[in-house]
Amino acid sequence: MNKRILVCDDDKGITDMLQMVLETIDVETFVENDSVHAMAKIKELLPQLFIVDLWMPVVSGDQLIRRLKMSADSKDIYVLCISASRDGEDIARDAGADAFLSKPFDMDELLDAVEKGMNHVHSA
Amino acid sequence: MPKNLKNTSTYEDQGLSPLIYQALDASVSGVIITDNRLPDNPIIYHNAAFEKITGYSKREIIGHNCRFLQGEDRQQPARAKIKEAIQKGQHITVEIRNYTKQGDLFWNELYISPVKDSDGQVTHFIGVQNDITRRKRVEEKLLMEKESVEKKVEERTENLRSSQEYLNSIIETIREGLVVLDPHFKVLKVNKAFLKLFKVSETETINKLLFDLGNRQWDIETLRELLVKILPTNNPVLDYVVEHDFPHIGPKTMLLNAHRIELEGKYKDRILLAIEDVTDRREIEKRKDDFLSIASHELKTPLTAIRGYVQLLKRFISKENIKALDILSKSDTQIERLNNLIAELLDVSKIKSGKLDIHHSAFDFDKMVRDTIESVQLTNKEHKIVLRGSTGVICNGDETHLSQVVGNLLTNAIKYSPDQAQVSVDLARFGDQVKVMVSDQGVGISDSDKKRIFERFYRVKNIQKRFSGMGIGLYICQQIVLQHGGTIWVDSELGKGSTFSFTIPYKK
Repeated sequence: MNKRILVCDDDKGITDMLQMVLETIDVETFVENDSVHAMAKIKELLPQLFIVDLWMPVVSGDQLIRRLKMSADSKDIYVLCISASRDGEDIARDAGADAFLSKPFDMDELLDAVEKGMNHVHSA
Repeated sequence: MPKNLKNTSTYEDQGLSPLIYQALDASVSGVIITDNRLPDNPIIYHNAAFEKITGYSKREIIGHNCRFLQGEDRQQPARAKIKEAIQKGQHITVEIRNYTKQGDLFWNELYISPVKDSDGQVTHFIGVQNDITRRKRVEEKLLMEKESVEKKVEERTENLRSSQEYLNSIIETIREGLVVLDPHFKVLKVNKAFLKLFKVSETETINKLLFDLGNRQWDIETLRELLVKILPTNNPVLDYVVEHDFPHIGPKTMLLNAHRIELEGKYKDRILLAIEDVTDRREIEKRKDDFLSIASHELKTPLTAIRGYVQLLKRFISKENIKALDILSKSDTQIERLNNLIAELLDVSKIKSGKLDIHHSAFDFDKMVRDTIESVQLTNKEHKIVLRGSTGVICNGDETHLSQVVGNLLTNAIKYSPDQAQVSVDLARFGDQVKVMVSDQGVGISDSDKKRIFERFYRVKNIQKRFSGMGIGLYICQQIVLQHGGTIWVDSELGKGSTFSFTIPYKK
């Protein structure tokens, strides 16, 4: 079973922390801090779960989600959006994210969301 | 035979019938005859009425010149006229101030007629007196009133002139553009600020229709409708925003206020339009909002990392190390506090720019209150939160925000009653409203502060030293309650505690 997770956040403080949190469960975690390269990473890894921030320079999270959901080979990837902006949930859902957590999130909440994403089987 | 004629030797000398004298005595007018041929023109006859009017007796009258009637009051202009007429032997009518024997003033309307002999020499004068004191008094009163009215009119005119100058100087000093319109929206007057604001001259403005000004910037259907309603309904136009690319000055945001004006007796049915350029202010507000948005986002990012690490650390520490676990739990609580403060800052910014989103959905109101109490109780072990009553309603509103209100009121109640062990929440429902009351027996609020505690960034003076806080919690509560169509208020007494209450309609 595919246990790969790709995390994309321009803030290294967040990705480092997430990496450590995700080490506590049985998954393979990859990190991308530059959203410009995120799409290539997605195509290369085809992870089960994509955790993405919204406010990032050059390519924003919602743009990434839209591209991912438009592309045939990546559209089934479960997208968990994490953002510190209040209207983040609306933007994320609009773009096509499957789940949303507002920063700062509770670790248990995050692990629940990750588990849900990992067990998610796309209907199509 | 009249008694005053008994000792008169003259009437027979005049060869007149006693009947004439009786007629004279019957008259209400005083009548005298003076003999101009004798030195100092003495009185040689008077009738009964003359005695009655003057109060003098016959002895004091006959043989005297008439001047005794004026007493000390000798400078009257009427006297000069009489003197002149007597010298010239002419007929005269004057009004003269006379005095009775007792010294009382009476106004005498005096007719003097000369009697001439066959050579044309004046032998006698006949004087007829009427006491016109009463008429004179009325006349004087009228005159005084007239004078006082004239004085008042003068004062009023002066007041009006100075108040007009005063008003004009205000109108010209004011920095808002002002336009006075007639009922057909023709421009009657503008102030300097208006001309400066739009870089236009009076000639291209006065007597033009408001809607024709510039590049028809005010020709907006909704504005037109509002302006049309002003005169018949007296409803002012308040804070109407016009964003437009104006000639000469470019894209600007203008705030319009219009009122009907009326000056009694001078004009009515005019419209005063005040125009304020709020472009810069809006821009600054927007920048401030953007800044707060970015700042709160940036602050939350490291907070997210810290929280993650703290929670992660908690997992790695063995269950036996109670002290360390306790420290981590407390750290987590503080992180949550910091997070709420940041969220509040952003809320204020959003409320201010009208962007606070209220998401209405149906939820169990009592459960929301219970959950909020539970989470507040979790971090505040010192006070017991007592819940009384219930509403039993499924409420249509923004559960997150309403929970924020209850939570905020509760943490305030706890914060401001440090020496108490209990705070309480009362729930009630009446009609289509639910009511929440949060009470404490703490420090209380003075009357003067009560009015202001819902203001943004307002902090009660003495409180600031004793309790931390930014002064935005109650402001946010109020805004959330208002957005739900409700009301929020406080009942409080210094030193005895406070009860904050809010009501909202639960179905919407």
